[in-house]
Amino acid sequence: MQLSFQKGSRSLILGGLLLVMMAIFVARLFYLQIIKHDDYVAQAAAEQVKPLTIPAKRGLIYAMDGEQPVQLVMNQTVYTLFVDPQTVTNPEKVMDVVRRVAGGNLRPNIDKLIAKKDTRYQIIGTKLTRQQAELIKKEELKGVGFQEMTQRVYPEGGLAAQTLGFVNAEGNGQYGIEEALNDRLVGHDGLLKSVTDISGVPLTIGNQNINKPAKNGDNIALTIDRNVQAYAEKALAAGLQRSHATNGSVVVMDPQSGKVMAMANLPTYKPAEYTKVEDAAAFNNPVITKPYEPGSDIKTFTVATGLDRGAIQPDSTYVNTDSIKVEDRTINNATKGQTGTITMQTALNYSLNTGMVTVAQRLGDGKNITLDARRTIYDYFHNRFAFGQKTGIELAGEQAGIIISPDDQEGNAVRYSNMTFGQGMDLTMIQVASAFGALINGGTYYSPTVVAGTVDTNGTLKPASPKPSRSGVISAESSAKLHQMVRTARATFYAKNDKPGYDVGGKTGTSQTIENGKYVDNQTIGTYLGYGGDSAPRYVIMVEVSGKGLNLQGNKDAMPIFTDISNWMIDYLKLQPRG
Amino acid sequence: MSYQTTSQFYSSRRQANWNRNQNTVAFVSSVKLGPVAHTVLIALMITVLGLVYLTQATRATGYDYEAQKIDSQIAELSTKKGDLEVENARLTALENVQNSNVAKAMTTPAATDYVR
Repeated sequence: MQLSFQKGSRSLILGGLLLVMMAIFVARLFYLQIIKHDDYVAQAAAEQVKPLTIPAKRGLIYAMDGEQPVQLVMNQTVYTLFVDPQTVTNPEKVMDVVRRVAGGNLRPNIDKLIAKKDTRYQIIGTKLTRQQAELIKKEELKGVGFQEMTQRVYPEGGLAAQTLGFVNAEGNGQYGIEEALNDRLVGHDGLLKSVTDISGVPLTIGNQNINKPAKNGDNIALTIDRNVQAYAEKALAAGLQRSHATNGSVVVMDPQSGKVMAMANLPTYKPAEYTKVEDAAAFNNPVITKPYEPGSDIKTFTVATGLDRGAIQPDSTYVNTDSIKVEDRTINNATKGQTGTITMQTALNYSLNTGMVTVAQRLGDGKNITLDARRTIYDYFHNRFAFGQKTGIELAGEQAGIIISPDDQEGNAVRYSNMTFGQGMDLTMIQVASAFGALINGGTYYSPTVVAGTVDTNGTLKPASPKPSRSGVISAESSAKLHQMVRTARATFYAKNDKPGYDVGGKTGTSQTIENGKYVDNQTIGTYLGYGGDSAPRYVIMVEVSGKGLNLQGNKDAMPIFTDISNWMIDYLKLQPRG
Repeated sequence: MSYQTTSQFYSSRRQANWNRNQNTVAFVSSVKLGPVAHTVLIALMITVLGLVYLTQATRATGYDYEAQKIDSQIAELSTKKGDLEVENARLTALENVQNSNVAKAMTTPAATDYVR
């Protein structure tokens, strides 16, 4: 028997209707699943697949303790305490618990904040420790929550504050090494992209999961030795108190490598409390950011230039009349009375301007500071000693200073005569101290550095590649002569201050300051530039003290700070006396 | 279940050159499955396979929760470790060391000799 539909029967109509409906369904499904496929997949992914950022940890900063790196800047997890006023059911209990556990971290008006029922989010406490957060969590307070965040902590307080800088609320390094090496310290966030459940727990289902681990920032080890730094800060504070100066800086360097062992500045601040600083000048590091007229410290460089060019010897003589004429200007000595025929050593000992101008003249035709003489001085000062150029130290805000070329209209004989005793050019302390290292170490200029290397997760130091150095800045012979002259210059007046048996030398500097474009006599900057060591120079120390309206002297105000640090360094470095 | 022999196997042995020791009898099941039974069986198989998939997927998701728990523990321990390191650094900071009783009890040596 063969079954068949009768033409026009209800079954045939029903079948036809079903066919049409099926066709509609198929068409609709085709539209949804084929044509709109990508849209719906994207919608589903947007709801189910959540990208989670894996935050990179900012690198730590270490100082050295002798040969051992020690943590100077660390990260700590802290918690922000917030409430949802609409969900809080027992405000009295919330206030009681949070006051008892985290009273010091709370905002002053938490009762009013909790009472703001028209809001859903009120921060009532910041920077709670993990222990505090756990104690509050145990109370299971309704409407109370925590947000985790990381902050920088400074176990050594304000030590080396300007060298370190700080990290602002946006997580960016500001000033110091934090700003200069921000890219290396910050690392790279990772990404976890996966299907999550309703609680946000990542699930392994799905085929579009991405797990890119975070790359934490480098742990940077500084060349700063925390013991030297702490002593330099202490000695500087004591020195400023003695002289009533308001500002001061000290830099301690290794002349055999260019490594900066300490960089102290006053006034200073605590990086953990940077928001409380009223005068942002405290953030600056004057050792690298404040060019100034260095004054008589520069006489060592003038003498070095003369020695290296063969224009003078330590026992070369000239007739000192306490004044000397350069074109239409008369230059006088600050220290008077050493008149007559005297040696260059005596000129350096007594810091005589006439002696330095004489060196400049002998670099020319013997009577005038000729263009050739000026070009020679510029070659040594700018090209060899790197004055007026950034040293490339790994700290933010370094300034280049200014040194005028002899080919410039202002680079005339008068300016160059002034430059021989430290006026007419602006230099930073780091430039002067770095170049001084080259004068006494045999003639090799080491670029100053504050980065010793990186520290791995086991605390092992991986030394940084040495920074470029230039040998032959002056000859080894000239360096040896200058070394002896600087030692004699100090020994002539201050030998009794030093530990016997050690090689210590230095030069005072007292710089006039410029107010409204003119040199003033009632405000001077006192500096001292010196070195110490045993069989070879082991440290260079430069000290600067200043203050508004204060007449500060290199020998009275800066030199005692040098002596204090120098004698301490001899013990700290365990140097053995000669002979 | 019973079996029956097939005549073609029985009768064509020599014609087909069967070898010695080779089976010449095949048994055919007497149970016949219709299209409905086949459909039901296939549906059952698909269901079983689905259940197997769901079981495995659920188990994998269960591991995710375990992994999440372990990750949380690692994060918590890492935070605790960080806190302890900070505390250690604070306790060994220069100021604390200088103010310690041990440091206060130290004296300056009267004389120093050097090994040469």
